[in-house]
Amino acid sequence: MATKSTTAERPRAAAEPGRLAFVCVLSWLIPGAGHLLQGRRDKGLVFLVLLPLMFGIGLWLQGRLFPLELSDPLVFLGAIADRGIGLPYLIAYAADAGAGLVTASSYEYGNTFLMTAGLLNFLVILDAFDIAKGRK
Amino acid sequence: MPHVPTSHFLLMALYALLVSVVFATLMKDTRQEQVRTAAMMFGGFLAAALALGWLMFPFPL
Repeated sequence: MATKSTTAERPRAAAEPGRLAFVCVLSWLIPGAGHLLQGRRDKGLVFLVLLPLMFGIGLWLQGRLFPLELSDPLVFLGAIADRGIGLPYLIAYAADAGAGLVTASSYEYGNTFLMTAGLLNFLVILDAFDIAKGRK
Repeated sequence: MPHVPTSHFLLMALYALLVSVVFATLMKDTRQEQVRTAAMMFGGFLAAALALGWLMFPFPL
């Protein structure tokens, strides 16, 4: 028989708009925190560990954190994806990490890891939102 | 400059593993389903990458 991964998997009543916003912002800032806050401990821990790890691997692989440049749409979209990870991005930005080394053979892999970590966190935010709305 | 792995297969496998686990955790609620989904997704990623790699051999881009 399958066991539930967390103790609070039942749908619940929808949260107030203020709490919904709080869950989304917290979930963006700290990947998995929105799930942890709502009792989805196992899922939250997986996101809390794996998404920052993925972001860190991207930096290690000499990936670049793209600037918000509207003149280049692809760079702009990459920049949005990079920022999806929240606090790890802010820490990397403050530490001047993520300059990228375009001559490194792992450069494109690094970019892919960085952007995917942010994009996956956007999905995690949506999942936390659905839980707060009582849809899951 | 830090030493970074340059094996494309290793990096692709690591990427596929992380994405599979996160997707499976998002999609499924029980641990058993999550493990099964992550394993299937990971295998699918690797199989698709190897198949596409071989397809690009006779038809280079």
